[in-house]
Amino acid sequence: MEDSEQTQNSSTEKPDGGSVQNGHFDGRVKRPAPGGSGRAASAAASAAAVGAQIPCAESGAHRPVMESWREERTRSMEDNETSLPSLAAAYTTILRGLGEDPQRQGLLKTPWRAATAMQFFTKGYQEKIIDVLNDAIFDEDHDEMVIVKDIDMFSMCEHHLVPIFGRVHIGYLPNKRVLGLSKLARIVEIYSRRLQVQERLTKQIAVAITEALKPTGVGVVIEATHMCMVMRGVQKMNSKTVTSTMLGVFREDPKTRDEFLALIKC
Amino acid sequence: MEYQNASEMNGGVDRNLNASKHNSLCREKKDSKDTVDAKKLSHIEKAYTTILSELGENVDREGLLRTPLRAAKAMQFLTKGYKETTQDVLNDAIFDENHEEIVIVKDIELFSLCEHHLVPFFGKAHIAYLPNKKVVGLSKLARIVEIFSRRLQVQERLTKQIASAISEALEPAGVAVVIEAVHMCMVMRGVQKMNASTVTSVMLGRFHDDPTTRKEFLNLTMRK
Repeated sequence: MEDSEQTQNSSTEKPDGGSVQNGHFDGRVKRPAPGGSGRAASAAASAAAVGAQIPCAESGAHRPVMESWREERTRSMEDNETSLPSLAAAYTTILRGLGEDPQRQGLLKTPWRAATAMQFFTKGYQEKIIDVLNDAIFDEDHDEMVIVKDIDMFSMCEHHLVPIFGRVHIGYLPNKRVLGLSKLARIVEIYSRRLQVQERLTKQIAVAITEALKPTGVGVVIEATHMCMVMRGVQKMNSKTVTSTMLGVFREDPKTRDEFLALIKC
Repeated sequence: MEYQNASEMNGGVDRNLNASKHNSLCREKKDSKDTVDAKKLSHIEKAYTTILSELGENVDREGLLRTPLRAAKAMQFLTKGYKETTQDVLNDAIFDENHEEIVIVKDIELFSLCEHHLVPFFGKAHIAYLPNKKVVGLSKLARIVEIFSRRLQVQERLTKQIASAISEALEPAGVAVVIEAVHMCMVMRGVQKMNASTVTSVMLGRFHDDPTTRKEFLNLTMRK
């Protein structure tokens, strides 16, 4: 996925006094309050429904916890350039610590390559949903299920910094608004190209689609292999982890959920 | 020093004293080795902390608190092959056997790290050899794969190292090694080709010289 063109604005600086947890603020960051209590209430309700990692905003704040739509980038292209020497130096230390010789021919440029690779694997921190989705939401009188399945997904385990890869299946029931199909895959890219936990990744994708489209329901299923389980630790070669998030009518109506699950299997 | 003088004066060797001195020397060596290992782990851990913060993450959030240590230990595990030798693994498992037909162990799962990007590549290794009066315990072939794959590698070199190790240990009439692997550096980044896999092979001895032998190996190994 090519990096979307991003305009520079002051919000690309790391927010003062705030800490970013995988793109979600811990509530200490100063941001403009969302317009309209209705939207804030429904966003807060959906945030509560998915069980935010961070405790819900205090009463009276009317600030939804997971505003993925508005979330700020923690990194810019310029940050990538400036971080590269420190990253490369860190990788040189790692090579030495492992007993390798960083000066041998095969490893000479490895610190730089590994640093650039790691920046690519975490490029989701440079991207915002709003950049990707803008202009691709269409008014369409369609209220049947839309599914995009078998979206290849590559992420990094935040506990061991080792790849996770698998497939994502997304379904939603439009409520007068549909999304460009490739944008579903782009949402997957933004959240998967980060240090992740599969449960959180699944939820983030579902919440982002909910916030963008306000559909009647969203279902996201991820089936992935975790190299931290396959290459090390328990070393179970064939194990797969499956997580799902069902929102709206996908959660409330078993028939809708069954239809979604049947369609992604075939 | 005093012990040495005493034993020399007696004209005899006090085995107990020498054994305990040997044990304490071994312990000292082990302790200093453990200290060196712990120091290396700590350097790698600090390097990972730097990497996390330079990537734009918050190193103090709950999920990342112990990640530098876990990642450092994971990396050490994934490169544990540097500390192992064929000799350690093969000793005692070579048997005299009057067998000269092809022996194949195939579909040996293999996990390694690309030395260019520090990203995994994984796949299967198929190994065959023609014994020359000596056979090896079958699992030892898989252990040899482990020794050389748990390093920073290039698939071509890995294949050759496995073949050479078996050749040196057993002196067989021929050795063949084929590795088929998927490289995450090609799948997750760069060209991003999901289904591409890389196949390398090394044929030594009769597998190299005799096309019929090579064909037999490939037929038995590569059929689905």
